[in-house]
Amino acid sequence: MLQHFDPNKDYGTPASLSEKLVTLEIDGVEVTVPEGTSVMRAAAMYDINIPKLCATDSLEAFGSCRICAVQIEGRRGTPASCTTPVDAGMKVTTQNDKLAKLRRNIMELYISDHPLDCLTCPANGDCELQDMAGAVGLREVRYGFEGNNHLNAEKDQSNPYFTFDASKCIVCSRCVRACSEVQGTFALTIDGRGFDSKVAAGQNEPFLDSECVSCGACVQACPTATLMENSVIDMGTPEHSVTTTCAYCGVGCSFKAEMKGDKLVRMVPAKEGDANHGHSCVKGRFAFGYATHKDRIKAPMIRDSIDQPWQEVSWEEAIGFAAKRLKDIQAQYGRESIGGITSSRCTNEETYLVQKLIRAAFGNNNTDTCARVCHSPTGYGLKQTLGESAGTQTFDSVMHSDCILVIGANPTDAHPVFGSLMRRRLREGASLIVTDPREIDLLNTPHLGDATHLPLRPGTNVAMVNALAHVVVTEGYEDKEFIASRCDTKAYAKWREFIIDERHAPEAVEAITGVSAEKVREAARKFATAKNASIYYGLGVTEHSQGSTTVMGIANLALATGNIGREGVGVNPLRGQNNVQGSCDMGSFPHELPGYQHVADSVARARFEKAWGVELDDEPGLRIPNMFDAALAGEFRAMYVQGEDIAQSDPNTQHVEAALSALDCLIVQDIFLNETAKYAHVLLPGSTFLEKNGTFTNAERRINRVRKVMAPVAGKEDWEVTVDLANALGYPMSYSHPSEIMDEIASLTPSFANVSYERLEEHGSLQWPCNDAFPMGSPIMHTESFPIGDEGKAKFAVTEFVPTTERANSRFPLLLTTGRILSQYNVGAQTRRTDNQAWHDEDILELHPHDAEERGIKTGDWLGISSRAGQTVLRAKVSERMQPGVVYTTFHHPGSGANVITTNNSDWATNCPEYKVTAVQVEKVSQPSEWQKNFQDNHERQYEFLRGSASANSAVK
Amino acid sequence: MFHTEEESIVTMINHIAQNNVSAGTESDVADMVESHITKFWSRRMKKILAEQLATGTEEFEPAAKVAAQRISDKLAAKA
Repeated sequence: MLQHFDPNKDYGTPASLSEKLVTLEIDGVEVTVPEGTSVMRAAAMYDINIPKLCATDSLEAFGSCRICAVQIEGRRGTPASCTTPVDAGMKVTTQNDKLAKLRRNIMELYISDHPLDCLTCPANGDCELQDMAGAVGLREVRYGFEGNNHLNAEKDQSNPYFTFDASKCIVCSRCVRACSEVQGTFALTIDGRGFDSKVAAGQNEPFLDSECVSCGACVQACPTATLMENSVIDMGTPEHSVTTTCAYCGVGCSFKAEMKGDKLVRMVPAKEGDANHGHSCVKGRFAFGYATHKDRIKAPMIRDSIDQPWQEVSWEEAIGFAAKRLKDIQAQYGRESIGGITSSRCTNEETYLVQKLIRAAFGNNNTDTCARVCHSPTGYGLKQTLGESAGTQTFDSVMHSDCILVIGANPTDAHPVFGSLMRRRLREGASLIVTDPREIDLLNTPHLGDATHLPLRPGTNVAMVNALAHVVVTEGYEDKEFIASRCDTKAYAKWREFIIDERHAPEAVEAITGVSAEKVREAARKFATAKNASIYYGLGVTEHSQGSTTVMGIANLALATGNIGREGVGVNPLRGQNNVQGSCDMGSFPHELPGYQHVADSVARARFEKAWGVELDDEPGLRIPNMFDAALAGEFRAMYVQGEDIAQSDPNTQHVEAALSALDCLIVQDIFLNETAKYAHVLLPGSTFLEKNGTFTNAERRINRVRKVMAPVAGKEDWEVTVDLANALGYPMSYSHPSEIMDEIASLTPSFANVSYERLEEHGSLQWPCNDAFPMGSPIMHTESFPIGDEGKAKFAVTEFVPTTERANSRFPLLLTTGRILSQYNVGAQTRRTDNQAWHDEDILELHPHDAEERGIKTGDWLGISSRAGQTVLRAKVSERMQPGVVYTTFHHPGSGANVITTNNSDWATNCPEYKVTAVQVEKVSQPSEWQKNFQDNHERQYEFLRGSASANSAVK
Repeated sequence: MFHTEEESIVTMINHIAQNNVSAGTESDVADMVESHITKFWSRRMKKILAEQLATGTEEFEPAAKVAAQRISDKLAAKA
């Protein structure tokens, strides 16, 4: 009988995907395994454990250590079991005197050049070399330790998170192979030959200076203490672990939080995690120190005005203060004078409760979420065309893609674990098309084959996507059968007539996009003729004045070529924050109840009214920018913001600051005094993902458990605070555990109907829709029909190109586009409080050498960047990744003021800000901008208010 | 590109009309615009839109103006 897969066990080599089974005999035991399985894995599946050192099941077999040698009846010698595939009828012996002697001899050689400091070694008790020495019965080293050796090799401690101790290296190449096969960076190599062979980073550089991206794959793969987490060196090995979900990007990696008591020692990527399969990035793997950072807010605080010091109070007093202010404001200014913002960093259950609080206790629909400023066009565009506001695939689906089209996304920086998977597929031969103003790192994938870069001008996505679709239709690449059977014929006919017009031809739009027509035609042909073609896109699509139109254009392209509804294809939005999909699913938008049910839908609304015991407003509420406008008009007076930093992340900072300053009551619930909290009257301590139970939903609609590993620093999980606030407002909420909240969500949200904590425990994770129609969830959506209209047919949408009004001119001749970097996350509140600062401790402005030369700018110069909205100052980096006329920066550091210069232009359908196009001028300057000087003054004043509160409290105590 | 809130509302409805200009006739475009605003705009935004239409000073796209009038009429009927 086949054994169940145990994720905690290392089977030595990867699983074979063959469906054909082979039966053989190992040590007299009959075993049946998929064809292509190695002898080592076949044995391990039946708990026959062959010693190994260079083998691990996350890497292809290598066969270098030879300690896994076996004997096979009828074959000569002692083949390595890791590199020998099973054969039907094979008879394998894994243990006899000859093999034992061989293994002892090999181990003896290894140990003759290895420090015998096991008792003081950080890997003591967690070392495969130690285990194997025991397993083979090594009792002596006859060679002595006097000869040439590596015992005095220097340690490389340049990386802040791990140490490379070359004296302990057995040159098994597991780290090198992990860097190549799993991460796809190829930063490590074996330098030298024979006895001089050694692991080297880059061109024999310190790890920190090399191309190493600190993903941790090498540390994970190392069988000794050669590559070891510094936290383990400092604290010792962990004693228990809890599986949970990462709180960084939308990939949603599963991790084992390995603990020592209530102290987190390390985060180890979980092999059983369906989103990451045991891989990680520098953020999820190492950047968890913010959870215990000294800046954490540890007690509730209140103040009457933002010019006053904070007063530390009890939870009861803070909640009572907040509730009274909210009630007083509503009594004076009306029901719609208050609202709130849910958090895409909090759990589904917490997000659900905040929007419920707003709709049921505040009595209005003034709820919104950070998706407003990132993927709201995805919600709109995919709902209009495919019927569901979500991506269609699993991440694993990319391994079946033959052509991958990436539009406005930078997966190796922003979704690194998925970026590695995509790179693996590219190394296997899939072709790549990148539509992006910048040359993103994906285009520099080692061993990349066929790749096309369409370096379009910012703001011209719709023209480009239309041109690609024009070629598909006019050159006869349409999938007519798919269109006839799966798409609405009337909408298709209308779109077809639109798209064949010559104004969409690549030659006609060349002057708009700046990309040669022939290149566009080639790309379109490549996409259309691939057996499986997939589209991945990010904020470079959505954060435009035509973000929604581009999303619909992308859906059109996938539909026209029949690339929807099976493995290897689809439309895949790469969602930014860990739970941005979930926060949208949970009804955070002002026009939609949970499950994307419109507030005007009387049937849906009635279900919620019955369950929540209140009458609900049938009109959409205010979006975030509307809240700001209404605040400045004096009509919106109070706001509850959970886990978002709108003062840093939203565009046109000075406008946002003015709006926040105008509020009578701003309640911020966060783990730090973030930029928004500097304008708050009530500061409620938030809890990190390590301090609470719940679920996150990642970019592939995967609902994954978040499990508490330590107590919340201020005593309450975030959902408990919302419950308290609701009760203080007179709207009763009573839950004893987030599982009860999920049960309520499932009862009211058709796509979540079969989701429960019990089923999540049973299956590990579930991808919605998960209901009676899809009881096991839906890894791939739209396989049979689309949830749109009565007939379930997808709808092509007409996608007219309308140029943005934000254009370069003689005063602002350059176009600024903003983005993200690998080591920092979003507003940086978490990652700036970790050693990730080693890679990126300030935002810089990248510009093309041509633009730099024209202005006499060199790398490192201070530059004033001016737009119609404002001015800020950043340091320059001259870079050929930019095209002439385009400059780029990130917004991870608040003092940079990147959003002081972005404007309030926004997507026509959703008001998603146009972060990606701002006309600017750049010039050398010698001092910070006025805004930056004011920012620094306010920053120091607000931190003084915070310190005053803490010292006053300790004086009282 | 910078507007008062009132000007922004007019810019936004015009923007919706421009992005749906290929929906068909002016009436078809107006249908799209009206449907979009009904579905996504808050009560407050609709009210400002109606007020701006009433001033007669703002420049509306033709289809946007038809849609704005319909929204305004609906608000008046509800009041």
